[in-house]
This record gives sequence, structure tokens and C-alpha cells, in this order.
Amino acid sequence: MTIRSGVRVQVRGERRRIHLALAVVLIGGLLAALLISQRLRGLLLATLNAAELRMVLICGGSALLLLIPIAGIVSLVSQYAFWEGWLAGFPDVECLRAESEVTAADSVAAEAETPPREAANGASTQLFVVYLDGIHQCESDHPGPISAFLTELEQQLPQGTQLLRGLDTYTVMPVALAEDRGGSWFWRRLFALQEQHPSGLVLLLASVLVQANNVIKVGISSDRRYGPIRHYQLALKIGLRLREHGFRTAASSELVLLGYSGGGEMAFGVADYLSRMVQVPLHIISFCGVFSGDHALERVASISTVVGDRDPVAAFSNIAYPGRTPLLPFSRWRRALAAGRVQRRCIRGMSHNGAHGPFSNRYRQAVVDAVLDLLPVLPGCAPAAAQE
Amino acid sequence: MAVEAQLERLGQWLLEAQMGVELVLLVGLSTSLSHAFALLANRLTPRQIAVRLVLDALVLALAFLLASTIDLILLAVVTEHPVSPGDFLNGMGVALMPGLLYGLVAAPYIADLVALTLWFLVHLNVVTMLHLRFALPWPEALLLPTPGLVIALGLVALLFRQSWQESYRQLAGQLERIGGIAR
Repeated sequence: MTIRSGVRVQVRGERRRIHLALAVVLIGGLLAALLISQRLRGLLLATLNAAELRMVLICGGSALLLLIPIAGIVSLVSQYAFWEGWLAGFPDVECLRAESEVTAADSVAAEAETPPREAANGASTQLFVVYLDGIHQCESDHPGPISAFLTELEQQLPQGTQLLRGLDTYTVMPVALAEDRGGSWFWRRLFALQEQHPSGLVLLLASVLVQANNVIKVGISSDRRYGPIRHYQLALKIGLRLREHGFRTAASSELVLLGYSGGGEMAFGVADYLSRMVQVPLHIISFCGVFSGDHALERVASISTVVGDRDPVAAFSNIAYPGRTPLLPFSRWRRALAAGRVQRRCIRGMSHNGAHGPFSNRYRQAVVDAVLDLLPVLPGCAPAAAQE
Repeated sequence: MAVEAQLERLGQWLLEAQMGVELVLLVGLSTSLSHAFALLANRLTPRQIAVRLVLDALVLALAFLLASTIDLILLAVVTEHPVSPGDFLNGMGVALMPGLLYGLVAAPYIADLVALTLWFLVHLNVVTMLHLRFALPWPEALLLPTPGLVIALGLVALLFRQSWQESYRQLAGQLERIGGIAR
């Protein structure tokens, strides 16, 4: 039954991808036809003269050029609404305060009441791995292939290691996109439309809009003016989640941020603030990571990246972010590289997503193996092989 | 009497250059708006933010006027024909029009690209204006507004030297002070 439902989910996912691909091809074809076909051009010119057509193209292009920065600015408003304390419902940073500030008696009582949560494999947690998803994320539940990947990883984690998944990486509040302050009215309507009319075009539109929204968040994170606000907010979210899962500075040894794609940028961005907050060694592992390399990395214990040699997105981020290029040898990323602080693993043939992506059946285990290999080895965390 | 005559003349110039001055003020306001989030980051009150935005807009407009005046003086030195300040300021106002979009520099990540494009367009407009309206050859038209541009850029950078990092350091300190996580 489980296998059948798994297959059904996979088939549905495949079908959705085919629909999306078809919609992309259709739109691309239509645009090409508009540009190339003499007949269509003739038709258009019969309706509009050449000057009007040029005007329409210029106006459309200008509107698009204006729309992109305006969307970014609108997205910033919610970040600063949080920062100014206008958004109620986000717990104060003080609620995370460590035992040192609590009286000794309270501390003992708290210890007795809330022992550290046990990891899935039964041992007391020594190592917490926090998964930060890519820009497709719109809710806490991960899509099928990612869930399968995380489950596989979780099963093979060393003893005393706990994986935290389902963190809303791109929203302002610790909730799904459809419930986030500011844009919830829009996202709810869009997702309702998606459920009522699950056509390829609507699915494509929803997917593009979610990704555009999350790309803007990645942009905010990469911007040295606005990034710190975003990272502070994400550090609080991770801190709260860690506390829910029994993390305590005094009892826990280390923390790993595992970021996929845009989640890599979030991991690099949040690392400095989070390490100040948790006060335990913090490691970053990014796979197919897209990150600016312009973040403070001095406090990070280790940095590792896993990339596919056919990953165009990760390769593009090497060019898109000046801090990653050899042109700026004194950027934080280049200095970390030069100091030998970055471990790199390359998986041959792996792409960014889809049938050759890290969550595909073909490469899933290779990525899991690479991540397991890159995890810090702690005295209390026996490797998975040793457990068997 | 001489002072009165001078003031009267200045007033007349300003009336002639009304459109140019208004455009420069609007560009100043747009440039000031591009930095509104820096004021939010420093947790100023809405009233403080509004006052600061208006003051910044005026100072920026003055900076642009100063740069235009430098261009005007250099033009008067280079060219043999008399240059009407009113006409010149009106021309500069129009040349600065891409700056009306400077508010978009607030957009995350693409800010540098937007700013660079707008400064380039403004400079191109000024160069074209000097070539077409004042018949300066292209090489001279390219060089003449450069000191004004450099000064305007310097003044904008000086005004926008906000204490972002200062406020963020406080933020980091706040996280560090909690001294770790407890249940």
C-alpha cells in the first residue's frame, strides 16, 4: 500500500513536471512564433502599425524593468515591519536566554522537567542538523522527492544526531507562505486557484510566483544593507525550533546548517548570528548551493559544499555574485577558500533538480553519502556503520 | 543698490529656471527615498523618518544644483557665447530626469546595477545636452561635466554614509548577550 501510494505520488509529481515543461515549451513557442512568423507579424502590423508595436514593446519592457525592483521593495517592507516590532506574534529573543541567567534552582527544576530530547536512533542528541530548503518552498511539508531524501538521510545519520526539517526558510514569521503576514491574502488566493484549476498554466504561474518571491528573499539576504535583518529573523526562527527540539547550549555539542540551493545562501547568511545565539560550534554544508559569499564566516567551524558538475544554477551563482569570482580575491568567500577552510565534493553528472538533481533516485544516495561524510565527527556520535 | 540688483537678477534666473529647479527637487526626493530603509534599520520613529527624508531631499537637491553650477561655470569658461543660467538649469533638470527613478535603488541586490545605470544615463544626457545645445565637440562635452558628476557622486555618498553596520552590530550583541539557548 505504502509502495503504491509512493509510486502514485511519484507519478503525480512526474505528470506535474511534464505539464510544467509543456507549458514552458508552449509559451516559449508562442513567443518565438510572435517574433519570427511573418504571418503573425503581418497580422499584428495590420492591427498596430510599426510605431505602435514598438511602443507596446517598450512599454511592456519598461513595466517589467520597473516591476522587478518594485517587487523587491515591497518584499522589504514586511522585513522591516518585523524589525520595527509592528508584527505581533514573534517571540522575543529574550525567551531563548540560557541557563546562566536563570537561578540555580530554576535551572535544576527545568533540567528535571525537560530532559534533552532523544534522537530518532534513541541516543541523546549531540549534533543537530537543520535543513534549509531551496526557493521552491512554500510550506513546511517538503515535496515527495525531498521528503524521501531527508528520510533517507535521517535513517543513516550517526547515533546522537537529529535532523530538523520543515523550517519555513523564506517567510517572515515561522509559518507557511500562505499564512505569512503581508502577502497571505495573495498567496491564499493563488493556492486556492491552483487547487480549483490545476491546469499546467496555473501550476506554472504559481510555481514561478513562489520562486520569484523566494528569489527576492535570497536577494535580500545577499544585500549587505538588508541581509542582517533577514538573518537575525531567521536565526530567531531556527533558535525557537531548536529549543522546541530539546537543544540546549549547555547540553548540545554542535550544530550543522544543511542548505539546498537558495537554502545555501540562507545558511551562510544566518551562520554568524546563529553561532552567537547558540554558542556552540556551527558547520555549514550546502549542496547545489547558490550563495553570495559575502557573509561573515569567521565564526563558522567548517564549510563544505557539494555540487554537481552539470549544475547550471550553482555554476551561474559563481558568476552572478561578484564575491564568488576570482576578480575579488579578498572577498570573504575567496579568503575562506584561500585559507583552505572550504571542503568541496563534486558529484559527476548531477544537475540542480529534476531527473538528474540531488533528490532524484539516481543521485540521492550519492548526496546523502557526501553529506554524511562531511558531518563533523563527535565523540558521542557513532557513525551509522558502527551502529550496525 | 548693487546687492539689490544682484538679488533681483538671481530671482529672475530662478523664475526662468523654475522647471529645472522643480525637477532637481524631485530627483533629490527620489534619491532620498532610496535610503528610507536605512532610517528604518536605525529604528527611527515615523516622524523622525519623514523629517529626515525631507531634509535629505533638500540637501541632495542642493548637491545636484552645486554640481550643475560647476558645470555652468566651466561651460562659461570654455565657450565664448554667453550662457543663460535659466536655460542651463532647465536643461540640467531634464538631463537629471532618469534620477526620478532613483528610489528604485532601494531594491535588494540589484541596487548597484540600478544606481550605475541611472548615473550613466544622467551623465549621457548631460553630455548630449552640452553637445547639442551648446555646440561643444564630443570630447569636450564628455570631459566638461565630469567634475560636477564626481562632486555630486561624492556628496550623495557622504550623505548616505548611514550607520547601518552600527545598528547591526547592536543586533549581533543582543543575540550574543542571551548567552545560548535554554528551554
